[in-house]
Amino acid sequence: MAKVLIPTPLRQYADKHDSVELRGSTVGEVLGALTKQYQELRGQLYNDEGKLRSFVNVYLNDDDIRYLKKEATQVKDGDTISIVPSIAGGAAVEAPAQPVTLSKDEILRYSRHLIMPEVGMEGQLKLKSAKVLMIGAGGLGAPLGMYLAAAGVGRIGIVDFDVVDFTNLQRQVIHGTSDVGRKKLDSAADTMHEINPYVQIDKHETALSSENALGLFKDYDIIVDGTDNFPTRYLVNDACVLTGKPNVYGSIFRFEGQATVFAYQGGPCYRCLYPEPPPPGLVPSCAEGGVLGILPGTIGLIQATETVKLILGKGEPLVGRLLLYDALAMRFRELKLRKNPECPVCGEHPTVTKLIDYQQFCGIPQHEPAPPPGVAEGEIDPVEVKAKIDHGDRFVLIDVREPHEYQICNIPFAKLIPLGELPKRVNELNSADEIVAHCKSGMRSAKAVEFLKQAGFKKVKNMKGGILAWSDKVDPRVAKY
Amino acid sequence: MIEIEDQPWREMVAHARKTYPNECCGAMLGTVDNGSKRVAIAMPLENASAGSQQQRYELRPEDLLKADREARRRKMDLIGIYHSHPDCGAYFSETDLKNSCPWYSFVVLSIQKGEFDHANSWLPNAEQTKAEKEELIYK
Repeated sequence: MAKVLIPTPLRQYADKHDSVELRGSTVGEVLGALTKQYQELRGQLYNDEGKLRSFVNVYLNDDDIRYLKKEATQVKDGDTISIVPSIAGGAAVEAPAQPVTLSKDEILRYSRHLIMPEVGMEGQLKLKSAKVLMIGAGGLGAPLGMYLAAAGVGRIGIVDFDVVDFTNLQRQVIHGTSDVGRKKLDSAADTMHEINPYVQIDKHETALSSENALGLFKDYDIIVDGTDNFPTRYLVNDACVLTGKPNVYGSIFRFEGQATVFAYQGGPCYRCLYPEPPPPGLVPSCAEGGVLGILPGTIGLIQATETVKLILGKGEPLVGRLLLYDALAMRFRELKLRKNPECPVCGEHPTVTKLIDYQQFCGIPQHEPAPPPGVAEGEIDPVEVKAKIDHGDRFVLIDVREPHEYQICNIPFAKLIPLGELPKRVNELNSADEIVAHCKSGMRSAKAVEFLKQAGFKKVKNMKGGILAWSDKVDPRVAKY
Repeated sequence: MIEIEDQPWREMVAHARKTYPNECCGAMLGTVDNGSKRVAIAMPLENASAGSQQQRYELRPEDLLKADREARRRKMDLIGIYHSHPDCGAYFSETDLKNSCPWYSFVVLSIQKGEFDHANSWLPNAEQTKAEKEELIYK
């Protein structure tokens, strides 16, 4: 039996004992037995990855186990194990005690940078001292994070609160199949550390908001926007202008992308280009409209290139120019951007001097009205539709999605009439028949039902939840997309 | 809430003034009753930071182990750690945060031009991402 001494603040998790006698042949086994017996202790001593937290030192009698065989260190009867935190600190914020240098291993790693005069030792040390904050670890954040880490950017912050899912893998190459279900932050940080263990990664598990943006931006030199929604884009822009940090911007949709650097040394900002957001719903997101998986690679790497150029202070930054990329035509174009003297945030007489409510600014309701429970008037549940088919009822099921969606999955009984073609093909339907319309999730088919009713059809219903609900409730073999 | 008794408080201030313009560090021993902490003994420890100590301190784990043993011997608890910030405020710096431990109170003494100015107590979180201010009482 070995005795584990419990530090005062941890006794509350160990039934108030100041020491516990446990069995185990190694330190790791004894600590395992301890945290099995007192499960709340586990979170105090180990991080999410199951490693001892950085501030936890373990002593066997008078020796630090790091200098023995770590957690595999043998334990004898009567040994005492102590848990001792490692503590340091100091007022130093800007001036580290040691000047930044490269170790021998780092010199080897960055050799192809060091032999170029434009980077050299001076530039590589600038990269090591640089602090870059990435907003989002998704499509744009994936190539960005991997290359910034590889290039040796010393400190990289990531703001993200999402979890990896299967639909991400087609483009978010920083995450792998085995990462599905993990936090994007953890998965991204693991990949980046695997590429380059010499960089510090700050994980900010939060949604960027008007409350936290200024505080988060304060600690970094450059902000890189990898988000795909308008409220966050305006928030990132305004917070960059207010804190004086450059905003390396990128956006993607289907086969087209854009990139530029906003708010850098007197250059234009996002609001100079777009003073007002588009009406909600007008510009579809990638989730709604799709995106070529490779596209964020191209745009994210343009952002990474601009970030590294800003750090090195070399070349001509993408300021005052909006780079447009069309992957189908494989063409780049440039639009000249001018600073707007009337810009509400960076103009001569700014009216936006602190962060505002960006959801409201973009016309997005604070709380989505909850869909009414059950099946509303004019709606029919997929289960009921299935019963009608099985029962041989006379009715027509129309699928109002697009032909390429029909190819992904369909209900064989259904007749395909895309919503856009419905007006000219309405004569294919008989108003005497009972008609049920469906789409992917029920939005477009609701419009189809509305159209048919106005065209004089009386017996039309919308299949609630679309083919997604059909997959959930009726036939799980039908793929979801 | 953390309250530091007269005697240990005088010793902590004296320690911080003596090491000025370098940072000092040490352990605080005492009792915890229903979440309110009372410091009865200040135990000065050596600043083991290898570089300049004007803006840095480091505690040897062995010294902390000794402080913990001393507390057990006296039937007290190791409650917190103190250190000084010469010629700057008693904030909890990024350096403090990244090398902290969530189990203890961190008392920071601001020493301006060699004289005690003000002090704060901080409670860092386990992720070392932020520290909350704790109510601090001293004479």
